[in-house]
Parts: sequence; structure tokens; C-alpha cells
Amino acid sequence: MNPLALNEPGRTILAMGNDAIVRGGLEAALGYFSTYPGTPASEIGEGYRSLKHEFPHIHAEFSVNEHVAAHGAQGASWAGIRSMVTMKHVGMNVAAEVLHFAGYTGVGAGFVVVIGSDPGATSSTSEQDDRWYSLHTHLPILEPSSIQEAKDHTSRAFELSEIYNLPVIVNAPSKLCHNIGSLRLGNLPNVFPVKGRFERNPERYINLFAGSVANHRRAMEAVKRLQGETPSLGLNRVLPGSGRTGFISSGINYLYLLEALSLLGIADAPILKIAMSYPLNPDEIASFTRHLDRVYVVEDLEGFIEFQAKRLLYDAGIRIPIIGKDVFPAHGELDVDLIAGRLSEELRTPLPKRMTRAIKLSNELTGDLPPRQGAFCTGCPHRATVYSIVKASDRNTVFAGDIGCYTLSCLPPFRAFDWVTCMNCGVGIAQGMLQKIEGENVIAYVGDSTFFHSGIPGLINAVQQNASLVLIILDNKWVAMTGHQPSPTTDIALDGTRMHPVDIKGLLKSIGVSYVRTIKPFNIKASMAAIKEAIRVGNGVRVIIAEEECALQYGRRVARTPVEYEVYYQIDEGRCQKCNECYVELGCPAIRKEETTGGWRYYIEEATCLRCGACHDLCLNSAILRTEILRTAGMESL
Amino acid sequence: MIAYDILICGIGGQGAISLGTVLKLAAIHEGLDVVGAERRGGAQREGIVTSNVRYRKPESGETPDERRMAASGLIPTGAADMMISMEPLEALRHARYLNERSVVIINNFPLTPVSVRMGEREYPQLETVHSRLREFTPNVHLFPIDELSRGHFNSLRQVNTIALGIASALGGLPVSDESILAVVREQFSDFETNRRAFELGKETARK
Ligand code: SF4
Ligand code: SF4
Repeated sequence: MNPLALNEPGRTILAMGNDAIVRGGLEAALGYFSTYPGTPASEIGEGYRSLKHEFPHIHAEFSVNEHVAAHGAQGASWAGIRSMVTMKHVGMNVAAEVLHFAGYTGVGAGFVVVIGSDPGATSSTSEQDDRWYSLHTHLPILEPSSIQEAKDHTSRAFELSEIYNLPVIVNAPSKLCHNIGSLRLGNLPNVFPVKGRFERNPERYINLFAGSVANHRRAMEAVKRLQGETPSLGLNRVLPGSGRTGFISSGINYLYLLEALSLLGIADAPILKIAMSYPLNPDEIASFTRHLDRVYVVEDLEGFIEFQAKRLLYDAGIRIPIIGKDVFPAHGELDVDLIAGRLSEELRTPLPKRMTRAIKLSNELTGDLPPRQGAFCTGCPHRATVYSIVKASDRNTVFAGDIGCYTLSCLPPFRAFDWVTCMNCGVGIAQGMLQKIEGENVIAYVGDSTFFHSGIPGLINAVQQNASLVLIILDNKWVAMTGHQPSPTTDIALDGTRMHPVDIKGLLKSIGVSYVRTIKPFNIKASMAAIKEAIRVGNGVRVIIAEEECALQYGRRVARTPVEYEVYYQIDEGRCQKCNECYVELGCPAIRKEETTGGWRYYIEEATCLRCGACHDLCLNSAILRTEILRTAGMESL
Repeated sequence: MIAYDILICGIGGQGAISLGTVLKLAAIHEGLDVVGAERRGGAQREGIVTSNVRYRKPESGETPDERRMAASGLIPTGAADMMISMEPLEALRHARYLNERSVVIINNFPLTPVSVRMGEREYPQLETVHSRLREFTPNVHLFPIDELSRGHFNSLRQVNTIALGIASALGGLPVSDESILAVVREQFSDFETNRRAFELGKETARK
């Protein structure tokens, strides 16, 4: 049984931060869930999907983008059903339009927005601090510190949303989303609402002209009321201590701070732990600060709490130094080391020996280690597609990058991206640039899911403005990057169920793209020829669909059906000219190099090779041999 | 108070995360508190993967003190009681978490990064890995875990259970063999093979 479904209050299970958020929704009798997958929050959607048998009343979906997902959750909330929408931090930019209205109109039943933030941008193209949105969306923010709080705050957020008639945000950074540890379960409700009912409320829901002004006022008053009542909610709390230097902290930084202070031997300093970082209550901040000489604010990214605290303290007439982003950087990820290091300088307290010794030794060591970067999986169709793109184009080609697994093409050995910023930056930027550059070929990339997320308007614009570019749609049938959620082109689910894929070709045709070709990426020679031809034609929008299922999903699906033929690829040492095409230029991890008595050779590691055939097709020396063996009964035991 | 921190590192697809999960589930089995974040920098895609496993428990009779018990998702510099590295280069890369008393367990099978493949960088010799880590702690152990798994089980699937056996024999793990095996039984198919792999790990470490 899925431990998240256990109805055993008080029992401790092992859970990821994202699981805890899932459970928080269950304990609050959630009825609607929507998301567009994005690391670090993707597993929340996975969680609800995996619980569909235990909680059949919950509608859980992977929506086409965050804007649609947020609207969906708003609709369910207006129907009186508790609803949750989740996204990664940059998804907030896409959902922002919806959420700027959601505060104005207020909610039906509790409406919770979970944002997975990514300080350090370990799986993102930006580390924006979404908390600042709340200064104009008026949406309250909870910042859980631990796995336990991730659950507790999520449940609580539904309640607050209903009491104050505002959607409530739960902000969880990647180091909480992907933290795995003990979680104490609470109560599951006895009854879950199956169907809701839409109650008309034109005053709030027709957000037009004077009605919108009235709603604006209503939202601000709701925030004011929440702000005033914050102390009675028991969310923020003070850890009393001695000394005249105090600390304010929120989210996971609170635990980093506790650990850093013990390392520095000042474990009894007064601390104000902020659980709700918007709005802040002026008295809570002032009464904590009043008897101190200075206060450090330790929080993620751009100093949202510091900014508000300074403003509130100014109004309260308190003029002590409030030190935040001058000491703890506003970019990158904080951790115990960084906080302890900065505080050690600030407070002139030495770091423990064990730490300084490790820092000294490792500084001498790590500088010259070979870096390791992401690479395409073994057998990945994108590797073959990108190889063909690189080989079919010249180096003057402008490569318009985009977001997905294929973003790895910006790394060696390919280096075949000239930019990557937000979703659909490829065609979008290229079609504008093309109005002002001449004589260059432009190849844009986009994945299936990214294309459907928000790529269609950009492509329509490119067609209407007659931009001359080759667009490669890398259609691998899944949102692979974030852990293989279904995409609009998924045609067969893992369990073999037929889906209803969108017909990309029909769509392209209706948009007005007349040049559409399909390639099979592992047929390298044919793919290269098709890309060369598309470049040669040189006019208007030309689309090539590189169609091949993600290798991992394909493997998972096909592992369930026995194969008739076994295929093997081997490198014939006699024929191999060591030209490096397969080992370096394609860079398949299954192709390896080894010392032999007579020097060295390339070989294919059978246990790793996924039999995609790309290397076999590209080797100009016919040195990679393909062997097919008919599987017969009895071979299994060999 | 019991406080024991383990850092597990490796490359995507090597199972560093599931190794961490077994060690964490063993804690739940035993009533210890456990926590620890993962870095999954492109699991399955040659990226660096780490899993932090941090055990905490007040001694019986001790009142839990929030400040002293605090454990964030990440092990601070110099604070790992044990490191299990599924790959030699990654052991070096994460050396900053070691102190004089740390126990280090390394699978000696190198996985070549793209930078080495392209001839831009060189992969360090195994002797260098050993000697540089010995500057941090005398307790550095390299084992041919991949080879053991291939040799005994004709597959790489037992690598993690062998590593668990080694860890249990070498370190002062606060979780018992019984708890680890109970979790292995729940989580993996073919318990018998995995139990043998665990024993193989223990014997290997004792040699
Ligand atoms: S592409 Fe062919 S000839 Fe070149 S290194 Fe690979 S196997 Fe050898
Ligand atoms: S070795 Fe060749 S056939 Fe095997 S996965 Fe790599 S590219 Fe494909």
C-alpha cells in the first residue's frame, strides 16, 4: 500500500518533501489537482497520479501549461471544491496572469498554489524569487522548514484560504521538495467531496470596471485582516535566547541557521522563525527586535523578508541594523557552510576546526578534478538528432535553443545552442531576429511538450511574418526532463493503454506550414539528408519532426513484452580507424575505450548498450557490426 | 543524542538514491528520526547524484532540544561520519565533507566523464584517489564492488546491497542489519540474492 494513503494518524513514514505536500492535500480533503510538471515540484503530480485508486474522487491532471493549470484549479475552487495547483518557480510567470486575478475575486473553497523554487538554479534557467509577486498579487505565502511542516502547512493553507478568502501560496525550495525523511501522519478526513456546485457571485466573479476596483480593495482588506491576526495563528514563533544579536529566518534556512549557530557555539541566540513570509505582522517583528542591538535576516534569494521588516520597523520607530543580503548573497543557494562562514566573520567567532581543516584540504584538491556534466542517456534519440543537426549544418548556423532534455545540446561535445532562456525562446526569438539578419541559416529546437506549452503562437507568428527557419520538433512522446509525465503526443501509456495524441502534422498544416518532414533519429544518414535538404530549400518555415520515443520510457514499456530477435552491436577492431565519430562526436556512454596488449581499442559495453543503432548507421568505416539472433524457446536459460 | 550523517555519492543511474532510501527506511523501521536531501542533477544522465542520510535520536530520558537536534537536508563541511561513493572520482569531489574520523567506502570502478572522453582532462589514478583521501581520514577503503556483483551475480543489480553489507561491517551505523534486511525484503524482488549480496559485502569488508 502507498504509505501516503495510510489512515494511521501518528504513524511515521518516510516521505519526500513533495510527498508531504501531497499528503497535506489529502488531509485537507482536496478534490482537484492540476500542474504543469517542473523540477523540483514534479513529484507532487506523480504522487496524486499514483493515488488515483485510493482517492478516486480527486481529479488530478498534467495540464498543457501553468496558465491553464491555474485556471483549472480556480474553476474547481469556485465550484466549492478544495483545489491545488503546483508549478516550478518560473511557471509562476506563466500562471501570473491568472493569479493576479485570483486574489481579487477570492475563492470558493480553499485554493492552494504550491511553488517549487530553485535557488542555485540546479535544474532551471533562472532562480527568480517568486515571493515578490505577492506584493501585487496579495497572496499570502507559507514557507515550510521541514518535511513535517511541508505537510502541516499545506493542510493549513486550505483553511487560511477559506478564512481570508484568498488563494494561499506554499513556497518550497528544491532542497525541501527533494528532502526525504520522517513524516508523522495526521488524520485523513472521513468524507471527501465528490461533486461541487458553482454558486454565482457576479460581484466578485465579474471582475470588470468598478467591480475590479472594489475587488482590489477587498483583496487588500483581506490581507490587512490576516496581517493583524497573524500572531493568533501560531505560525511564526520566537525561540528565546540570550545576547543582543538576534536572527530572523524562514523556510529551510531556519534549519541551516540553527546548525550554523551550533557550529559557532552560539546556539542560544534569540531567533524569530517566520512561517508566513507575507504578510508580516508589524508587532511580531517589532517586539522581537525591540531589545536587540542588531538582527540578521537569513532567507533565500532576494531578501523579501528583510525588505518588509525594514519597512515595518521604520514605521515602528526602531532603528537598529537589520542585516540580510549585504552579508548572505541574494543569488545562489545558501547552506549551513555559507551561513556559518559569513556569521563567523561578522561575529568574529571561529569556525570549528573540523570544518576549517576540511575546507583547507578540499580547496587544495578539487580545483583540478575533471568536471562532470549532464549528458543524454544511453540510447537517447535526442543524441542522434542533435548529432545529425550538427553534422548537417555549418558552424555559421544560428541555433535557437529551448527547454527540455535536448537543452543538453548546449554542452560538449555538441555545443549546438546559441541561447536558452524561457519556454519557447527558440522560435520566438529567432523569428524576430530573422527580420533583421541576413544570410544565416537558423535552426530552432523545440520538444513536444514545450511546443504545446506555449510554442504555437510563436510559430504562427513566424509563419505570418514569413520568417525563414528550420524548426526541429523533437517529439519523444513524454515530458521526459521532469520525470516522464504524459505529453499531448503520448500515444501509448506505460501500461499499454492507448492515449489520444494530438496530431502535430494536422496542426502544422492548419497553421500554414507547408514544409513538414518526419525523420527517425537513429537513421543518422537519412536524418542528415533531410536536415540538409530543409536548409537548402531556404525559404519560410520548414518543420522537421524527429519522432522517436524517449529511450527510458520505451525501455520500461517494452521490457514487459518479450522480443523475438536479440540485436547486438559490436566494434570490429580490424575495421575501426579510431576516427572518434562514435566515441567523441556522438558520445554514447556505452561506447568505451580500453587498453589492450597492442595499444587501445574502442568497444561497446553490451550491458549498457540499448541497441539504438545510431553508431552503426553513422560509422563511415562500417566498423560497427549489427548481429541479429532469433530468440527461440530455451534461449532464455542460456 | 545519536547523530550520525552519511553522504552517498555517485552518478545518475548507479542507485545512490535508492541506497540512501534503504538506509532511511531502516531508520523508520527502528524509530530513529531521519532526514536528508538529494541532489539528482539529471539522474540517469551522467550527472552527479548525492543523497544525504542524517540520523537523529535523543537518548532515552533526554528531552529533545530543537536547536541541538536540528538537521537540515544537507551535511555541513567536515561533518560526514561515513561516505559511500559509488565511483572513485566522485569520492574525491565530495571530500570536503570528511573529517579525521570519517569512514570512506568507494566502489573502485571509474565512469569516465565527457571531459575525459574528449581528451580535455585526465581521470585520476586510483592510487591518487586513495592517497588524497587519506589526507582527510585514515579510514579509506576501495572495493571492487562492480566486479564482485558481476562475478557473483552476473549483473550489476547487487552493487547497492553489497555496499550496504560493507557499510554495516565497517561503520558504526545506528541501524541494525535486521532493519536493513527487513527493508531490502520489502523493497526489492529476489530477497535471497540480495541477502547473499549483503553477506558478501560484510565478508569483503572483514577481509
Ligand atoms: S565511428 Fe567507426 S571507425 Fe570511427 S571510432 Fe567509431 S567504430 Fe571506429
Ligand atoms: S552503443 Fe551504439 S547502438 Fe548501443 S546505445 Fe550506443 S549508439 Fe546505440
